[in-house]
Amino acid sequence: MKLLQKTNRAYFLVSGTAFLFAGVVFYFVISFFFKGQLNEKLHHDIKNITRAIKKSGAIPNYYPFIEIREVSKQPEQSFRTTDTLIFNVFENRNIPFRQISLISVINDKEYFIAARDTLIEEDELLEVIAITTGLVFILLLACLYFINRKLYMKIWQPFYKTLDELKEFSHDKPAFRLSSESELYEFMELNKTLEKLTKKVISDYQSLKRFTDDASHEIQTPLAVIQSKLETLMQGTDLKMDQAELINSAYIYTLRISKLTQTLLLLTKIANDQFPDKKAINIAGLIGEKIKMFEDHILEKSLKLSKEIDPECIIETNFFLAESLIINLIGNAVKHNVNNGVINIKLEKAHLEISNSGETLKESPLKLFERFYKTNMSSDSPGLGLAIVKEICRLNKWEISYVFENNLHKVVVNF
Amino acid sequence: MKILIIEDEKELVRAIKNFLETEGFLCETASSYFEAEDSISVYNYDIIILDLTLPGGDGLNLIKLIKDTNRQAGLLIVSAKNSLDDKIKGLDMGADDYITKPFHLAELNSRIKSLARRRHFEGGDEIIFNEIKLNVNSGEVFINGKVIDLTRKEYEILLYFIVNKNRVITREAIAEHVWGDDISYAANYDFIYSHIKNIRKKIGLNNGRNYLHSVYGMGYKFSER
Repeated sequence: MKLLQKTNRAYFLVSGTAFLFAGVVFYFVISFFFKGQLNEKLHHDIKNITRAIKKSGAIPNYYPFIEIREVSKQPEQSFRTTDTLIFNVFENRNIPFRQISLISVINDKEYFIAARDTLIEEDELLEVIAITTGLVFILLLACLYFINRKLYMKIWQPFYKTLDELKEFSHDKPAFRLSSESELYEFMELNKTLEKLTKKVISDYQSLKRFTDDASHEIQTPLAVIQSKLETLMQGTDLKMDQAELINSAYIYTLRISKLTQTLLLLTKIANDQFPDKKAINIAGLIGEKIKMFEDHILEKSLKLSKEIDPECIIETNFFLAESLIINLIGNAVKHNVNNGVINIKLEKAHLEISNSGETLKESPLKLFERFYKTNMSSDSPGLGLAIVKEICRLNKWEISYVFENNLHKVVVNF
Repeated sequence: MKILIIEDEKELVRAIKNFLETEGFLCETASSYFEAEDSISVYNYDIIILDLTLPGGDGLNLIKLIKDTNRQAGLLIVSAKNSLDDKIKGLDMGADDYITKPFHLAELNSRIKSLARRRHFEGGDEIIFNEIKLNVNSGEVFINGKVIDLTRKEYEILLYFIVNKNRVITREAIAEHVWGDDISYAANYDFIYSHIKNIRKKIGLNNGRNYLHSVYGMGYKFSER
């Protein structure tokens, strides 16, 4: 719900309740006040009539407003107040009257004197009050709405600008500044805090990035030295066989450490979201290219490759990550395959399935995606391929799953 | 041909320098940003090898200076930062090639020679070794003047060997050169052997001699022996 909507709704509810309450109070106050006035007037009427009869002896009669008749009852000291219905010939219905009556002795005769006047009809009063309060209510609401709208536009405008700018925020940009200015303390504080926060995010991100860069430099440079020394050593013409073996094994392990650090740093970089540049990538094309890369290995193991690829599959993501994902998945399918095995690659819309034959897993398939997981502990590979795949999927919010069915290992990615 | 090596790790500089000098290049070195600045401003080089991470400044800034003062030089960037950012930035700024640390010396050599060829420093488009002749423009291979039919990969391997002749080349170096870094996903390098067998066979069928020798436990060597 939007702010404007919310405040309007609150105004409506609160003022609605207030007006309803005011209407009720209004009704009682008016009817109380009116009845008081009426009683006072009728008392005066009776006094005036009494005085007139005493003076002139004539008995006026204005039914139903004034009624005087001779009675033979004991005179009363105090007025009697009653409400009564009297039939009105013009309106052809009963109309409520207030009556004040007294039995009084005038010129030695007992008279019943009653003064009456119409009461306000309750439903009419109610109607009038309802209409007036209703009208005032609508008028007020309209005013509130317009004031609110105006204020909303004016006061909240810097807020919305800030919001728009925040949406554009990206941690890999060198600096982030909020341009909106407001005279309101709260918004100024908000902007200040946000700027502080984004500055921190950017600097944290930069230092993480620097760390991975420095770490790779500090590790890879010594490795480069070792590797070049070993390669120089290999050129020796009088190397004995066992020496050659020693050198070669040191060389191979150096390469392995180097690959391992590269992979671990890649994992860190993916986790840090250091691959911000996204573009539309043709996954089908990428798969074709990477299959070609592995064609020698496929041939070597005499693997049977079947493809069912939708050439129109375009995914918006980072190219390097997409490439890593495809290489790892196809590479795994080749590497963990058996001779004369099969690889099936299926790509339709945003759904990729790669299945391959291979030895059955001895452990839970969930472990597959863990770092350093190996089915065969003596294997040369560090077991990071699927961990990378998982991280890439996590970063891109893609779904990934593994099943073993029909004697095939199947990895499914939903882009 | 004169090469400037800009790299702060002294041992690595020594290894590269020794290697390139046996290949017949003249090498100078600079081990910091400022040293590099001085050398570039004063002298002209044919090829400059630049490590991006240097004490005293960002190597990327040197690229501009190199482009101003050593326009004719081929520029090869070396970096441990295997980040696409730097690679793209470097190449955009005018670097000719990019190699990631750690690298095989044979790979570095192959890149430098390819740069040199592109700049016509080294005898143009043809590489000749006895009866074998490679035309790097057309990708054709001749034995005694007769064209032989090699696959793309066989050609790449042969070229790599000839460029690095008389050196032991490891299977790993060949694999990375021809199939790329990602080849480490493969379980073994047996497939390289089948390519080498094919090259030997094709050269042999055309009365070429076999220069491709296996070196026990390490790899191969292309030499007259």
